[in-house]
Amino acid sequence: MDVKITKQFILFTSILLFVSCFDGTDFDQTNEVVLTPEIELDLIYFNLEASNFYDYANNTEVLVVEDITDLDFLGGSDINDIIKGADFYFEFTNTIARGFNVSFDFLNNDNVSKYLMQTTVSPGSENNPVVSYFVQSLDALQIKELTKANKVLVTVTIPSSSQDLSGVLNLQSKTTYYLQIE
Amino acid sequence: MKKFLFIYLALGLSVVVCQNKQLLYNWEVTPQTLMLNPGSLVSSQFHAGMPLVSQFHFNAGSSGVSVFDIFADDGVDINTKITNIISELSSRDFFTINQQLDVLNFGWLSKGMEPVYFSGGMYQELDVIAYFPKDIAILAWEGNRDYIGKAYDFNDVSARADLLTVYHFGVNKQISKKLTAGVRLKLYSSLVGVSSTRNKGAFKTSIREGTANVYEHTVTDLDVEVKTSGFLSLDGLEQSQVNKKLLGRALLGGNLGIGLDAGITYQFDNQLSLTASVLDLGAIFHTNDTELYRAKGDYTLDGIELIFPELVNGEPAIPYYDNLEDDIAREIPVDTLNTGYTQLRPTKINAGLHYDFGRFVGDKGGCNCKNNGTKQKRVSQAGVQYFSIFRPRGLQFAGTLYYTRRFGDTLSIKTTYTLDSYSAKNVGAGLFLNIRGVNLFLAADNLLQMSNLAKANSVSLQVGLNYILN
Repeated sequence: MDVKITKQFILFTSILLFVSCFDGTDFDQTNEVVLTPEIELDLIYFNLEASNFYDYANNTEVLVVEDITDLDFLGGSDINDIIKGADFYFEFTNTIARGFNVSFDFLNNDNVSKYLMQTTVSPGSENNPVVSYFVQSLDALQIKELTKANKVLVTVTIPSSSQDLSGVLNLQSKTTYYLQIE
Repeated sequence: MKKFLFIYLALGLSVVVCQNKQLLYNWEVTPQTLMLNPGSLVSSQFHAGMPLVSQFHFNAGSSGVSVFDIFADDGVDINTKITNIISELSSRDFFTINQQLDVLNFGWLSKGMEPVYFSGGMYQELDVIAYFPKDIAILAWEGNRDYIGKAYDFNDVSARADLLTVYHFGVNKQISKKLTAGVRLKLYSSLVGVSSTRNKGAFKTSIREGTANVYEHTVTDLDVEVKTSGFLSLDGLEQSQVNKKLLGRALLGGNLGIGLDAGITYQFDNQLSLTASVLDLGAIFHTNDTELYRAKGDYTLDGIELIFPELVNGEPAIPYYDNLEDDIAREIPVDTLNTGYTQLRPTKINAGLHYDFGRFVGDKGGCNCKNNGTKQKRVSQAGVQYFSIFRPRGLQFAGTLYYTRRFGDTLSIKTTYTLDSYSAKNVGAGLFLNIRGVNLFLAADNLLQMSNLAKANSVSLQVGLNYILN
C-alpha cells in the first residue's frame, strides 16, 4: 500500500514538474536590450556687456574677448562609450548695434582643438533685441571627436567698437545627448 | 528520495507566495505549521526535520509583470515591450524574493501534569523586496527630453534585502479544551542587510521662465538614504575569508535581533475552529559593521555662466566647472555614517476559520488520545485564511479558500484558492505523505500557470522531509 502511494506521489509530482516549463519565451532577447535615454541639459550662458569690448583705461577697442571652462563630463571614457550623438543649441539675444562672430572650440587637455563650432550673431538695438539661433547636430563620428575634448573655449569677436557702444549680448545654450547603453 | 528533492530545488520551481504559505498554514499534519502558528494543534509526540531538507521555500514574485510579458517570443522588439511595461507598472508594483531553508527543526511533547509541546531549530532566510522605481526607470530608459516639466520622485526608490539566520524555540500548550496557545522566541543573526526605504525629493527639468538659461534643472527637498550592514568588513576579502565571516555571522556572530511569534487555536466545537498568529514581531539591531550613505539638500542648475574676466598674463582662468562641482557637493552633501540602526522585521499576520466535516479518521474510535482527546480528526476540512505582511509601503494582503482531505494517516492533500497582490487566479495544492513516521510534503502554488511558468506572476513551491512520531 505504502509503496503504491509513494509511486503515485512521485508520478504526480513528476508530472507537475515536467509539464512545467517556460513556453514561448526567448531569453536571448536580453542581448537586444538597449537603453536609449535622451538627456536635455543646460550648457553655458553669459551676458556680455558692450563695455567688455572697449578698454576705457587706454581708450582702445577690444575686438576679441574669450573665456574657457572645463567640461570634464565630456572627456570621460564612460560617456565616450555610450554617447551616440548630440544636438547643440545656442540662442543669442543681442541688443548691441554690432554683429558678432562667436566660436566654440572644444579642446583636449593639451589645448588641441578637437571640434570647432562657429556662428554669427546679427546686430540689434536696445529697443529691438535681435535673436539669433545656432544649432549643430553631431553624428556618432563627430561626437567621438568632440568627446576627446574636456573643455570649451568661447571666443566672441566684434568687428569694431567704441566707448559709446551700449547693450548686452546674451547667450543661452543647451545640449541634447543621445545615449545608447547596451 | 533526497536526490528527488534536490532535483526540485535545483530546478527552482520558483517558489513562494511572498512569504504567504497558505498551503502549510493550519495543515496540522506538518511540523512546519508550528512555524506559521505556534498555537497550532499538535498531534505528534516528537518530530525532527531532516537537516537542511526539512523545509525549503523559495519565491520570486512580481505584482505587475510576468516573465512572459518581457521574454515572449512574439516578434515584438523587447525594448518596445520594456517601454510598455514601464508605462503600465506603477510605483506600487513590487518584486520579491523570499527563500527559507530549515537547517534544524525539532520538537517533542513533554509529558507531565501539564503536557507541553516544545519545538525549536534554526533556519536561514533571504528576503528581498523592491518596489518598482517608476520615475527613475523612466529617466534611465527614456531620459528627460520628452518629460520637460515632470518631477521625477525619489520616493519611488524603496527596496530592502536581508540575509539572516534565525534561532527559535517555542512552547505550545493546550490551555483548555477549547484553547491552545503558543509562543516562539526568535533570535536573529544578520549576515548582511541593505535597505533604502524612506527617500524623498524630486528632480525636475523646467523650461525657462525668466531663468538664466534654456532650462532650469532643480533637485528639491532631496533626502535619500541607503543603509548597509555587514558589507564594510567584507570589502577586499578573498572569497574564502568572506565565507568564513558569513558562517561566523550565521552562528550568532552577526548583528543580532530578537523577535516573537505568537498564536492561538480556538475550538468552538468539534468541527469549527479559529486560528490566528503573528510572526516575526521584532527587530534586528545593526550596531556593528554598518555604513549609511545619505544625500540631503536642494540645488538648482542653470549650466555654467561665463563672465569673460580680463585676465592679465599668467592669471589662471576661472575654474567654473570645479566651482560647480563644489557648489553641488556643498548644497547636496553625501554623508557616509557608521551609526547603528534598527530594522524592523517584516511582521506577518495569519488567521483562519476552519470547519471539519465528514467521517472520522483512523481507528481510534474518533479519539485523538495523544492530544488529550480534545479534537476528533475528520477526513475533510474547509475554511478561509487571511494573511498580511508589513512591507515598506504598507500592508500586503492575501485571502485564501481551502479544502483539506485526509486519506487515513498516510496521505493528506490540501487545495487552495488565493487572491493576493500577484494574482486573482492562484490555485495551489499540497500533498503530504507519511510512511512509517517519515513524511514528505510538497506544496505548489499557481497550478493554473504550471504549464507555462513564464506567464505566472509568482509561483510557489515548498518541499520538506521530516520524521514525525505520532
